[in-house]
Amino acid sequence: MWYLALGIAVLLVLWAISVYNFFVSSKARIKASVQEIGNQLKRQAELIPNLVESTKGYLKHEKGIFEDLTSARRAISAAVQSGNVQKMADAGAKLAAVIPSITVAVEDNPELKGSDVVTKLMDELRDTSDKVMYARRLVIDLTADYNVRRVSVPSSFIAGLFKFDELPGLITPQEGEHTKVSETEMKSPKVKL
Amino acid sequence: MVNVYEAQAANKRKSALVVVVFFLFVALAVYVLSQAFAVYSGYRPGGLGMVGLALIVSGLLSIGSYYFSDKIVLSISQARPANRKKDFTFYTVAENLAIATGLPKPKLYVIEDSAPNAFATGRDPKRAVICATTGLLDKLTRTELEGVIGHELSHVKNYDIRLQGLVAVMVGMVALLGDWFLRMRWGGRRDDNDSGGLGAVIMLLGIIFAILSPIIAQLIQLAISRRREYLADAGSVAITRQPEGLISALEKISADREPLEVANKATAHLFIVNPFKERTGRAVERLAGLFNTHPPVSERIKILKEMA
Repeated sequence: MWYLALGIAVLLVLWAISVYNFFVSSKARIKASVQEIGNQLKRQAELIPNLVESTKGYLKHEKGIFEDLTSARRAISAAVQSGNVQKMADAGAKLAAVIPSITVAVEDNPELKGSDVVTKLMDELRDTSDKVMYARRLVIDLTADYNVRRVSVPSSFIAGLFKFDELPGLITPQEGEHTKVSETEMKSPKVKL
Repeated sequence: MVNVYEAQAANKRKSALVVVVFFLFVALAVYVLSQAFAVYSGYRPGGLGMVGLALIVSGLLSIGSYYFSDKIVLSISQARPANRKKDFTFYTVAENLAIATGLPKPKLYVIEDSAPNAFATGRDPKRAVICATTGLLDKLTRTELEGVIGHELSHVKNYDIRLQGLVAVMVGMVALLGDWFLRMRWGGRRDDNDSGGLGAVIMLLGIIFAILSPIIAQLIQLAISRRREYLADAGSVAITRQPEGLISALEKISADREPLEVANKATAHLFIVNPFKERTGRAVERLAGLFNTHPPVSERIKILKEMA
């Protein structure tokens, strides 16, 4: 009998340790993955102006793009330095907003579309925005895992015992226009050609 | 409509169940055969010795393929390392999905073959290798390729190569034991008169198990392989969140009638879609399905569509 009780106690302790380690290592991985977003944004901020520089000859009528890029790049380096996730995400969004205008400039111009340099630019643009997106995906997935295990039985006992707090992940506004669907948005869109 | 997380959890449960059934079956077969060996040798210690010997021989046979599988497969398939300039989409997609899963970027190889297919190997995520044919890289769009690479990365993340290696050792052990049992000198020694009826029953059971268990073990091995394919499909969707990419990739790959020249029976289970094209004849389809390393593509697409 004593051996049985002892065995169960040992198993319980081992289980508690593994759950505790899950929470601790998740926290560390989430922190690292947030840094990865900063890393990818920094790469993007350095890459895009270089790419656009190499296509400057083709895009000479699009002066506005270059100004937007420079200011987005500045915002990113400031955000990366501050280490604040939310600031990084905002700065990233600013840069991401420039990408469509580059795309439009290229799409509007059949000559540009055909050239190798511009094709390369478009490929790299898609790749770099994918990289940022996937880096964010990792933060979202890891925090979701962490938060789900924090509240589900039986791992919630360990979370409560050692006071593991809920982590916010990437912050997006919970209220506002974008959480509602209006009447006009419910109708299927009509396309005129 | 199935939520990705639920699909993944259900797949993990089913997969674990098949693996448990497999190990229980192996334990049973080993137990019966070792008892039969014991009866044969007149209850002298040695029954378990045979099991140990079979495990060691089977382990040695598989150890090479386990440690060098990546190098062996790559040299058989005549693969070349991928580079960022030449294989831009392949290289960057794999890089990005590795970021999404938090795994180190796998080594990437390209096989010059126009039949579209891809596989993953390497015994742990640090040594993972993903290989794609030029046919796949040329025919798929970036989104479709993301689905395929996501599937392969899921195999890496789930340690499928390690599991298949372990299962192969077990199957080899059961096959060896059965083989040895059937090769014993029947009618040589006859000192089992002390065991009587029970001894005869055990010997009979031993013969049945010696004949059937290698086949059954192999069938369960194939069932595990198919289960892991479903699991990797669900894992791919969990990474990319775009079931449509994998669906249309699977459609394109299976619609392609060209056989992959560098694939052989030993490497078939590694590929995303069975490199030997599935023949569909209704009556025998279900039975033939038992011997396949991959579930039918139509079934995989059906399940993916439920996630879309």
